[in-house]
Amino acid sequence: MSWLNLWRNRRRTLITAASVYFAVILSIIMRSATLGVYDNMIHNFVTFSSGYMQVHLKGYWEESNIDNAMEHRASLADTFGRVAGVTAVIPRLQSFVLASGADQTKGAMAMGIIPSLERSATRFSEKLTVGSYPRSDTDRVALLGEELALRLKLKPGDTLVLIGQGYRAASAAGMFRVAGLLQLGSPELNQRMIFLPLKRAQEMFGAESLITSLALQVGNPAALEPVHQRLRQVLDTARLEVKTWKEMYPEMDQFITADSSGHIIMSGILYLMISFGLLGTLLMMTMERTHEFGILIALGLRKSKIGLMLLGESVIIALMGCAMGMLSGFGIVWWFQSNPIRLTGQLRDMYISYGIDPVIALSTRPDIFYIQAVVVLVISVVLVLAPVWKVMRLKPVEAINS
Amino acid sequence: MNQANAKPATVIDAHELSKVYNGHQIPVRAVDNVHLHIEEGEFTAIVGPSGSGKSTLLHLIGGLDAPTAGSVILAGTDLTQLSENELIDFRLHNIGFVFQAYNLVPVLTARENVGFVMQLQGVPREEREARVRTLLEEVGLADKAESKPGKLSGGQQQRVAVARALASKPRIVLADEPTANLDSVSAANLLDIMARLNRDENITFLFSTHDQRVIEKARRVITLVDGRVVSDEIRQ
Ligand SMILES: Nc1ncnc2c1ncn2[C@@H]1O[C@H](COP(=O)(O)OP(=O)(O)O)[C@@H](O)[C@H]1O
Ligand SMILES: [Mg+2]
Repeated sequence: MSWLNLWRNRRRTLITAASVYFAVILSIIMRSATLGVYDNMIHNFVTFSSGYMQVHLKGYWEESNIDNAMEHRASLADTFGRVAGVTAVIPRLQSFVLASGADQTKGAMAMGIIPSLERSATRFSEKLTVGSYPRSDTDRVALLGEELALRLKLKPGDTLVLIGQGYRAASAAGMFRVAGLLQLGSPELNQRMIFLPLKRAQEMFGAESLITSLALQVGNPAALEPVHQRLRQVLDTARLEVKTWKEMYPEMDQFITADSSGHIIMSGILYLMISFGLLGTLLMMTMERTHEFGILIALGLRKSKIGLMLLGESVIIALMGCAMGMLSGFGIVWWFQSNPIRLTGQLRDMYISYGIDPVIALSTRPDIFYIQAVVVLVISVVLVLAPVWKVMRLKPVEAINS
Repeated sequence: MNQANAKPATVIDAHELSKVYNGHQIPVRAVDNVHLHIEEGEFTAIVGPSGSGKSTLLHLIGGLDAPTAGSVILAGTDLTQLSENELIDFRLHNIGFVFQAYNLVPVLTARENVGFVMQLQGVPREEREARVRTLLEEVGLADKAESKPGKLSGGQQQRVAVARALASKPRIVLADEPTANLDSVSAANLLDIMARLNRDENITFLFSTHDQRVIEKARRVITLVDGRVVSDEIRQ
């Protein structure tokens, strides 16, 4: 009965489709912002510390001591690099040091990295705010988190002195020129990270050709587990282990889970509001047409057919609104992803105190879009049952007289 | 089935028909013990002042409302014995309705409004279109076939409604004050069309009115007062 489609009155269709449209956009943005903040938080933290996943000597995570370092062999890195889902294998050597500037000393984490590799694999160089990024992998230079530099009163060109414990109880000390400062997107890392070229770090710690970990970057951080499984199959499990960030930082995962439940309640309230709006529109539409329905019933149209017609209309309208909402939602999210909102003032301080980057980044994970659209679609189909139920109880005489 | 030259068949047989509305305090006997016998081809008016029960009686006869007591037998079928869906299907094939106003589906054109009942009946497309054309010509609106109701005058809308009521080839057309919202010229015009269709297509008409000029066109006039039939006269 395709002719029934003609029945839809353009104004009414537009009003309802528009309410579905805004509902979809709203819920997409909300979900996207929530996931975006989490993703961003995890990304910023793990990329410049452990990696989404990390391979290290068995037991290293429990006792993160440089004595638990392992041989850096190219063949090992290649093996992991070939595992599907792994996009980069990054060798790092890290240990605790005391860092001194002109007259201040602070505890810090010194991490040896390969500057040229990090530039391509983690876009590390983009985090530089002042100074310059090391041009070679062997310069005797250091990059510091901004916050740490502030506390040590250091700026590019100054000299940084590091003292710590080296490999197998050797003493470690070194002097480095500060090449640049970093804004790492994780307040915690900003306060304690010092990056050195791997070669120089190995020298200082007396750990020639050793690394403490291989950090693994992945293509899709939302689906770590399958990659984790595959890695375990190629790993010498007697000697090495691979951990995901969730295993390494369970408290971060717990925080997200706890924070999510608040967002789920918010989404619930949003959906409830959307539902009431939609229900209102649907009921109004039915009320407006009560007289018309009465006439149709008098002429011989079964109520069930009218109900089916309403259902069909509702589905078509919802599909239209959902499709448009998904498109616009995607556009908006896309735009904000390339132009993230940097928070300022109190909100910024609050975010930092929670250890979260004060940036509202939106996630473009595809499931956000279709899940929100499907939810709104289901809501509109369920809600149309109210007017359908009203029609089924309609008394023709009363309807005609209305 | 009786032929036109045989003794006319009974279309409506109403027995001891009553409808009582339980109002706020006192029950209202909107239709009170009415006996009614209508034969094929009649052109009959139900008249009476406002509130006399004309609409209620037509609704009972059309199966739109259930009587409190009594029965309505329409073309041999006892309406009180039918289920809701059976009643709707029965109306589709046997009864045409014209109401006071806003009869038409606003988003359909005149042609679609007339064709839609036949579509529900499953009449093949070509036959349907031919009949729609004939009917719109008979009510003088062939040139308005593609107009939506909003673009038609009140009189034109009622003529489309009459065309639609006839489209299903019903046994009877029930019209509840079809001229109530029309000026006298349009009202006379509508009645003339109804009278001609009654003659040419041998369609039985039962319509209510309290308009004296409309009453004059009827061949039989049944007068209601307080839900009771007080007179029933046949004129020629
Ligand atoms: N749904 C209803 N509920 C209560 N009383 C009603 C209802 N419909 C009609 N009536 C009453 O029944 C009587 C007959 O009404 P109606 O059939 O509409 O008369 P008419 O069509 O002749 O003006 C009136 O007194 C009216 O108030
Ligand atoms: Mg009336």
